[in-house]
Amino acid sequence: MHLLRQLRQVNGLRSLRQATRQVATGPTKPATLQYERDPQPLFTDAETQRLLQSMTQLNLDRVFRKRTVPDNSVETKFMTDEQLDSEFQQMVERAKQRLQMPPIVTIKKDEERIIAKDPALKDFASTKYVFTDITFGLRQSERKVVVRETDGTLAYATLETTKRMNQLYFPLEGRQSYNPRMFLLEELFAKCLAEHKYEFVLDRLLVQYEPHEPEFHNISARVFEHLNESKQFDLLRSTRHFGPMAFFYAWHRCIDDLLYDMIRRDYLSNAVELIALSYKIHKVPVEYLPTLAQLDALQITPAQRALAELRSVFRNREENQGIEQEIHTAIGKTEQDFAADEVSLKFIEQYIASEHALKKVQLELAVQTLKEVNREKLLLFQGLKKAHGVQAS
Amino acid sequence: MPLSPASGIGRFYAKSAKIIRFVRLGCTNRPFYHIVVMERRKNQHQPVIEQVGSYDPLPNDSNERLVALNTERIRHWLGKGAHLSTPAAELLGIAGLLPIHPRTYMSAWRNRRAAAEAEASAEKAESNS
Repeated sequence: MHLLRQLRQVNGLRSLRQATRQVATGPTKPATLQYERDPQPLFTDAETQRLLQSMTQLNLDRVFRKRTVPDNSVETKFMTDEQLDSEFQQMVERAKQRLQMPPIVTIKKDEERIIAKDPALKDFASTKYVFTDITFGLRQSERKVVVRETDGTLAYATLETTKRMNQLYFPLEGRQSYNPRMFLLEELFAKCLAEHKYEFVLDRLLVQYEPHEPEFHNISARVFEHLNESKQFDLLRSTRHFGPMAFFYAWHRCIDDLLYDMIRRDYLSNAVELIALSYKIHKVPVEYLPTLAQLDALQITPAQRALAELRSVFRNREENQGIEQEIHTAIGKTEQDFAADEVSLKFIEQYIASEHALKKVQLELAVQTLKEVNREKLLLFQGLKKAHGVQAS
Repeated sequence: MPLSPASGIGRFYAKSAKIIRFVRLGCTNRPFYHIVVMERRKNQHQPVIEQVGSYDPLPNDSNERLVALNTERIRHWLGKGAHLSTPAAELLGIAGLLPIHPRTYMSAWRNRRAAAEAEASAEKAESNS
């Protein structure tokens, strides 16, 4: 019996050693960029959140696309116009909920909190005891886990043990009790990145790790760094990860690639917001608030735009569709959009001229191309208006 | 034998003696205990009033023994005057919920004495050879 127990101990030690070895090699390589001070106050700030939400955009088709879940079934219903309208509003609310960004908080350090030391208890057992409070209705963060070491010390458990015990007694759906191999083995992780499965990696990361864990910071930073090189930013647009990504670039002063992508895709107000965010984070003495206010006055929020798009169903049914509307659908821009573009371009050019821009030539070219396209569109817009006899307002 | 639910189906008299004790589950050579509240006079495998925790006496992969305690309910039953079996009292003492049980101190110094003796005899054998 004694021999058996010893064998088991040896086994336990071996697996412990294996575990530590795994931790040493994984989770993958460390990222080069890290938050050196607490980003949380700046991230949860209402203005930052508004900027990030606006940059994320809200494409309902993308938010509610089919996923690899057991039930993707669609329900078909007959509804009156009022019912349909309230359903649309609910849908936009649900989409907003789905786009809620995971918080960016500083890494939580493990601190030793000893409750009692009792040297007379030394060697009372051959292994340590881990006690978990399973009182009903507690949140994970307030659940107490304590450890009695073999030398008689009673202390609160480390964060790692607490998480393990929480997962053991109150499992979260989708979270593994071991580190997924995807995050542990460099070649598998690199393969995920090479195949541009950024959203999948980030989703799984969110399920598996808490935002205050070092693995979360490390892996998300590596994903964002890879994204910055592959420049596939559109893969994350209209997902909950776009905001943290933009914040990451703004924090580490590497927004130029994302900015170039935004200009190329004609998301000029987003580009302005990104620049404003980076000014805000680094306390650059440039007045960005007036420009943002101007843009706000000229444009609607992503949620409002999504709702308007849904509601266009009602308008189409009415036969007397305005000629202005027709011109708008033909060109894709209204007069207000042209005005907003002018304001944004001014701000963006100011940024490119300043010392904060790193890829000036590329950005300038993109802006020039966009300007030409815009000019043509404006000419067409004015010509169409003239032809239809709509008075210039 | 059917497992009774944690909320308990055991019938009990209001003024009967209750006890917080272990129930041995698991199987041959693999003990596993539920910590339960039941009437003192009853056999351990009869329906319980309430399950308030679990105890796995075999060390796991990270070489630790796992105990789960519903401290809120344990304190409730202790306040109602429930008794404690010795192993349960020892465990609650180690957990820091109650004062350390004297038997824990006893096994501690016995273990230390045995270790010292083993070391001494090993040294003796070494010096002899």
